[in-house]
Amino acid sequence: MVKKIKNLKEFSLSNDRFEGANLMCPGCSHNIIVREVLNATNDPVIVATATGCLEVCTAVYPKTSWDVSWIHIGFENAAVAAATVSAAYEVMKRKGKLPPATQKMVDEGREPKIVAFAGDGGTYDIGFQSLSGAFERGHNFMYVCLDNEVYANTGGQRSSSTPIGASTTTSPAGSVSYGEKMQKKSMVEIMADHGAPYVAQVSPSKWKDLVKKVQKGFEVYGPVYINAQSACTTEWKHAPEDTIEVSDLGVESCVWPLYEIINERDEHGIIYSTKLNITYRPKKKIPVEEYLAAQPRFRHLFKPENRHIIDLWQKAVDARWEYLQRREEAGV
Amino acid sequence: MAKDMKHIDIEEIQKLGWDELIPGAALFSFREPVEDVVEVPMEERPYAPTNSHEWQVGDWRVEKPVYNRDLCIDCQFCWVFCPDMSILSRDKKMIGVIYEHCKGCGICVEVCPTNPKSLLMFPEHMDNDEALKRWPQKEEKKKD
Amino acid sequence: MAKKFELNEIEVWDGNMAAAQALRQADVDIVAAYPITPSTPIVQNYSKFLADGYVDGEFIMVESEHSAMSGCVAASAAGVRAATATSSQGFALMVEVLYQASGMRLPIVLTVVNRALAAPLNVNGDHSDMYLGRDAGWINLCSYNPQEAYDLTLMAFRIGEDLRVRLPVMVHQDGFLCSHTAQNVRPLQDEEAREFVGEFKAVNSMLDVSDPVTHGVQTEEDWHFEHKARQHHDMMSSFDVIREVFGEFKERTGREYDLVYTYKMDDADVAIVALGTTVESARVAADQMREKGVKAGVVSFRVLRPFPFNEIVDALGDVKAIAAMDRSAPGGTFGMLFNELGAALMAKGKRPILLNYIYGLGGRDTTINMLREVYEQLNECAQAGEAKYPLQQFIGLRGPKLSFY
Repeated sequence: MVKKIKNLKEFSLSNDRFEGANLMCPGCSHNIIVREVLNATNDPVIVATATGCLEVCTAVYPKTSWDVSWIHIGFENAAVAAATVSAAYEVMKRKGKLPPATQKMVDEGREPKIVAFAGDGGTYDIGFQSLSGAFERGHNFMYVCLDNEVYANTGGQRSSSTPIGASTTTSPAGSVSYGEKMQKKSMVEIMADHGAPYVAQVSPSKWKDLVKKVQKGFEVYGPVYINAQSACTTEWKHAPEDTIEVSDLGVESCVWPLYEIINERDEHGIIYSTKLNITYRPKKKIPVEEYLAAQPRFRHLFKPENRHIIDLWQKAVDARWEYLQRREEAGV
Repeated sequence: MAKDMKHIDIEEIQKLGWDELIPGAALFSFREPVEDVVEVPMEERPYAPTNSHEWQVGDWRVEKPVYNRDLCIDCQFCWVFCPDMSILSRDKKMIGVIYEHCKGCGICVEVCPTNPKSLLMFPEHMDNDEALKRWPQKEEKKKD
Repeated sequence: MAKKFELNEIEVWDGNMAAAQALRQADVDIVAAYPITPSTPIVQNYSKFLADGYVDGEFIMVESEHSAMSGCVAASAAGVRAATATSSQGFALMVEVLYQASGMRLPIVLTVVNRALAAPLNVNGDHSDMYLGRDAGWINLCSYNPQEAYDLTLMAFRIGEDLRVRLPVMVHQDGFLCSHTAQNVRPLQDEEAREFVGEFKAVNSMLDVSDPVTHGVQTEEDWHFEHKARQHHDMMSSFDVIREVFGEFKERTGREYDLVYTYKMDDADVAIVALGTTVESARVAADQMREKGVKAGVVSFRVLRPFPFNEIVDALGDVKAIAAMDRSAPGGTFGMLFNELGAALMAKGKRPILLNYIYGLGGRDTTINMLREVYEQLNECAQAGEAKYPLQQFIGLRGPKLSFY
């Protein structure tokens, strides 16, 4: 059942199912994203979480910060965990053996929503196989990648989501290195190419866009992938109060474009239409340099010998923005 | 025998021996079933002692956000961007800060659009009434 | 509702079919599995049952064994019955999640068709995978033939799901020698089997949206030890439940199981302790030795974990010489059976001669003659009252004799 959220005042009527006094860093985006996702629906939610910041800070015995059922198994298996909980739900529903309180919800048209949360390490890297498998099998669940572009929980090592030029503890900038050498992996397109009915990229700073996409995701049947920008005060090294501002800089510079890809299938499951929609267009695209300058993980790029990386960044962002626009225009 | 961790107090939980633990280290959110949790505001929820809601992280702060009702327009930016469920809003109105759960990140202050701001950071030890007395005046917009 | 599978009083099944039929009859809600030789036919048979309408649950063909066990963990935490099958490399890939299953106290059933671990890659049977996972906190049941693989798989659900236990259970059978060897099996009819296994009892189900539960928490030095202690305690206390389930199964079928298996041990002077199909070969060898006047017996673990400390020492009685036969590369020490038997015997004040034989690695044939030779050596030691042979010997190996100590 879609929750009506016309504006922020209406959204603020939500009663959170994620609790305070968890141990996440002050100013952490992960929490903001989790809140926005859970509050996007009034249906029951069941959560699986990969090992990572969110997991180690919200279920430290003997405390849980979850008012929904929650499971953590390992680093690389949040997708299969959520997918199998979804399958277990469907089996029990079919057999008429759901717990009474759950059956009552289902009778009211409020089916539980199964959501996996994982960081970019658990998604782009170690959890990719499990994620790919679960999407290929078509389970009905939503996978939200909390993408802070680094292994933040273990002290800031690079992942395949770390963007070029970022200084991490395993790709540190030094006298002969500008930091990370590889471009970030294009996870959204990769997941869309699995044929998932709905895939989107979101930022917590654009809450309405995020909530709308999560609601769309909850409305389709099948695996849904949401790539959420998660500014990390600890590893991006910006001040905790700047989390939303840094996120906004990412969106306004098109470093973090907000868009969705919808794969529509006919009754035989054949995809007959793939559409990419850009859901937010900055009024004035700001230079990438402003985004980079706001984060000390890129500070070394402003040295003369590294300036070419900033130019490279701008080129890459422009090319990608151009690509997204062309896809949108072409309706593919 | 495993203790009923839903119904003992947290001091007792902290002292549990191995023989009193729930197998598999499961934790519970509530003392008793809550049929439809989204309909129940936090002040009415039967939180289990193992719910982090019952704990506090306020001592992480060195500065605290102080709320000025007189200036607030109830836009709810602070509510939506608070990472710690620490902005108390009811019936579309901002009520105040939950200091037990606020870690003092300052996002609420940054996103507050009023002029002067309706939320400002003050030293942790300062009395809120004192902080309200020291509230700054409206800032003139700088011309480019 | 699943269709009833018409079964004859006696079916001719190999170990894989026996295990697959037991999974079908147990009405498993979620089987998440990945194929691997030699356990693949379990997965294939189960798929065929599903395709023909004999399975009511969900069968998820995942992309790896890691996901197979992860899926079982999630399903079990969701409050439904979950099971899978694997071997060797697949088992090795599951290991991380095996510990999570037992630590989270989820009564998953895993049928393991034992196979060697690479390198070199090898599809044939030995017990390397069993040894790799033996300390993962699972109850380990061992079968020697298809009938036992069937019986123990059914019983595994009852044991693991008992509210006094709530631990995952592995049922081992030898790759090929059991898994691919068709023998007579007397199955229970579907309704009998279903009645014996019973309904799954959900504990702290994630699917109850009115009573949210958190599974898979973080603990550090202040809590981890207590949780592991509780887990160990409950495993050590599971003997009673295992005996009860064995007893009830005997009442229904007449087939008797005990924590430790013995053959002609009442008056034995020498004994082979082995696992898997070797137990059956050793029985034949023991009989032949007895014709020659050597009082030979066989002992095996029906339950390897929890370790039946008292029962294994009692089973060995006052035997004079024992061969601990390990079918797994020992990796720089004695074999597991030698070490664990040696410790148990010593702790109970027994000092028989104990020799370690490493045999049958990677599916190398173990013949009756080889086992007779083991008995001959034991007999010689028993008569001399001392070890006349090296403490560790590799047998059935080409090249110069390999032995230590």
